[in-house]
Amino acid sequence: MQKQASPRLESQQTSDPVLHREIGQPEESVDQSPNDIKGIRRREFIKRTGLAVAGLSAASTLLTPIRRGVAAGTKPTEITFASAKFFGKETIAEVVEAFNGSQEKIHVTYKELPPPSSSTEVHQGLVQQLARRNGNPDVFTQDIIWIAEFAAAKWALTLDEYFNAEAMKEYFPGVVQACKWQGKLTALPWFIDSGMLYYRSDLLDGIGAKPPETWDELIDSAKKLTSSGKAKFGFLWQAKQAEVLVCDLVSFIGSNGGAILEPDGKTVSVADDAAVESVQLMHDLIRKDQITPEDVMSWDEEPSRRPFTSGEAAFLRNWSYVWKVCQSKEDSSVIDKVGVAPLPHFPGKKSAACLGGYQYGVNASSKNKDAAIEFARWMSSPETQLRFAVQLGLCPTRSAVLDDPKIAQEEPFMQRLKSVFVGAIGRPVTPKYPQVTLVLQSAVSRALTNGDVKGELQAAKEKIQAIVKT
Amino acid sequence: MVTAEFPINETMRKPKQIRVGLSWHSPFLLLVPALASIGAVSVYPVFLGLWLSFRDTTLASPTDTFVGLGNYLQLFSDSQFWNAWIHTIQFTCASTLFETLIGLMIALVLCERFRGRGMVRAAMLVPWAIPTVVTSKMFGWLFDGQNGMVNYLLRSVSLIRHNVDWYGSPDFALTTIIIADVWKTTPFIALLLMAGLQTIPGSLSEASVIDGANAWQRFWYVRLPLLAPTLLIASMFRALDAFRIFDLVYVLTGGGPADSTEVLSTLTYKNLFSALQVGYGSSLSTMMFLTEILIALIFGVFLLRQMRAIGQ
Repeated sequence: MQKQASPRLESQQTSDPVLHREIGQPEESVDQSPNDIKGIRRREFIKRTGLAVAGLSAASTLLTPIRRGVAAGTKPTEITFASAKFFGKETIAEVVEAFNGSQEKIHVTYKELPPPSSSTEVHQGLVQQLARRNGNPDVFTQDIIWIAEFAAAKWALTLDEYFNAEAMKEYFPGVVQACKWQGKLTALPWFIDSGMLYYRSDLLDGIGAKPPETWDELIDSAKKLTSSGKAKFGFLWQAKQAEVLVCDLVSFIGSNGGAILEPDGKTVSVADDAAVESVQLMHDLIRKDQITPEDVMSWDEEPSRRPFTSGEAAFLRNWSYVWKVCQSKEDSSVIDKVGVAPLPHFPGKKSAACLGGYQYGVNASSKNKDAAIEFARWMSSPETQLRFAVQLGLCPTRSAVLDDPKIAQEEPFMQRLKSVFVGAIGRPVTPKYPQVTLVLQSAVSRALTNGDVKGELQAAKEKIQAIVKT
Repeated sequence: MVTAEFPINETMRKPKQIRVGLSWHSPFLLLVPALASIGAVSVYPVFLGLWLSFRDTTLASPTDTFVGLGNYLQLFSDSQFWNAWIHTIQFTCASTLFETLIGLMIALVLCERFRGRGMVRAAMLVPWAIPTVVTSKMFGWLFDGQNGMVNYLLRSVSLIRHNVDWYGSPDFALTTIIIADVWKTTPFIALLLMAGLQTIPGSLSEASVIDGANAWQRFWYVRLPLLAPTLLIASMFRALDAFRIFDLVYVLTGGGPADSTEVLSTLTYKNLFSALQVGYGSSLSTMMFLTEILIALIFGVFLLRQMRAIGQ
């Protein structure tokens, strides 16, 4: 895996933004001189280069002030932007080109990382570059769960002085919260995603049931539908020992008012009653109520999506991308039979969806911070967010943009999901998240298998305490 | 060696110029490129890994101090490590055993003359030629808990009544991965053993037939003892290779469910590349390295005994 990522990284090394910025036009002719060699005698070539270098050094001392003045108008500041790969009707590269075309001061070179489905590789690629602290890439996008890690390592620039509290009020508060580390803003919102409940509206109408609001209602409807043979599976979710299991875990525990890690980042509450009850529910859905097949133990997003869109399941927990699949003629046999709702909750508690999405970060070692900030500001502006929503299907993090009539026309489901997005809650915020998630994945997978929920969560609590303490 | 040098020295003495510039260190100079490349790609990484395993280096935080045996002490009390260690040993033993037995059978069959043997020999190699990630995806579908071919076949011959959840159940997941590996790597063993069988002179088999040996005796008393060194070398290759199983597990289960398929390579990968704990991850890979040496030593002892037995 590492081998695949590294050539990309090496290639990023080659374009040093500083070099390009400070070298004026005359020097470029020296750069290109090897092309001119053809047909020119060697002596002639040496003479010319010698002249060019001599002229250049003379010119640079004499004309520096003038050249700078001219360069500001003609030679743009070079910065780099690295992002995981997303695409729809447009690619990120095309959006970046639009920025380059919209003004002349800054030129952004886009470096593509693997898609978010290979998030370990994206993470690895970013960390390897940021750890060098050489300012490359100037701007990057990060999964919401890495924000604390990058901020604590002082790789991400603190953005408070560039974006005041007033400006941040235009974004959803949950996302802004997730973009902060120890009270300081270290990321700028890009797009939001969250887990949600997909249900078969036709099947629910058939038994006269409403979209479930509590887990008991969901279990009840699912049992009716599976026992009458109308659906093969009741409720599908993801329990593969992978990151997705933690996403599901967060929404189960959150829907009971519990948490994995308290906001202080030190107190571990994963073995508290609220969490134990929630994991017990996850276990019971598979083993006791049997509305979830044991197969979910090896399923991540796509394997759990397929039975639902082929009409075999009544309920599904998944991300927003499934909505589009449900509406596509090739992949779906449930077109117009699917509804979306916030995930159910425990009695008297609130629904909780797992907050996901990628956000912008500015490299703290960037040598062109102003240009980097300006680019990030443009990328996060209402116009660009609207463009990402319409062209790439990425849900905006600005409340006003989500209400835009254009979105109502192009991506109607996004507006219907507004309440889900607004209520989404983050995963544990700690710079040690990559270690914490491995412990959680193992513990919950074990608890779902052997049923010793209390014991496994207690063991996980001790391990996580040891990790976050240092 | 000594006797062989005489003629060479004789011929070298005549054109005197050739000896000019050749001194005792010339051979070593010629070895430098090879030594340098081995050093760069093999020796240096091993020692760097060893060095890192005594530090608490993590990429995402500034900690980077010498911790002595701290990582190893943590490792020995880490249930995850022992869990993965046992799975790796289980996997190595089971896959090596089955691959050697089945590979031997295939090799014996393919050494006989029959029509279309060339075709069959080529076809046998196909599983080994398929990239492991493709094999993994293929077995993912074959053993799919809901729509898998294997469940369908077992149901249609009434061996099972309900679908078995091959990858979602801790009882079957590792077994399923072993089956996939046996399918994929048996041809490799078969190929090595076939080469070994061809070095055994046909006259020995013929002689035993004249002496009245039946097919089993011919195999057991004549061919097997002569094949033993090849057999040991082949299974050693296989065991060392199986010990670092990664791709099948990574693609099929990611180590789950309930850590039941976590092996040392995937655990090391998670620690090194997901959690970016370079120090702790390096101590894990050092332990893998040591276990590999142990496996090689065990095979080495058997191999030496075999060679001596044959020599006598």
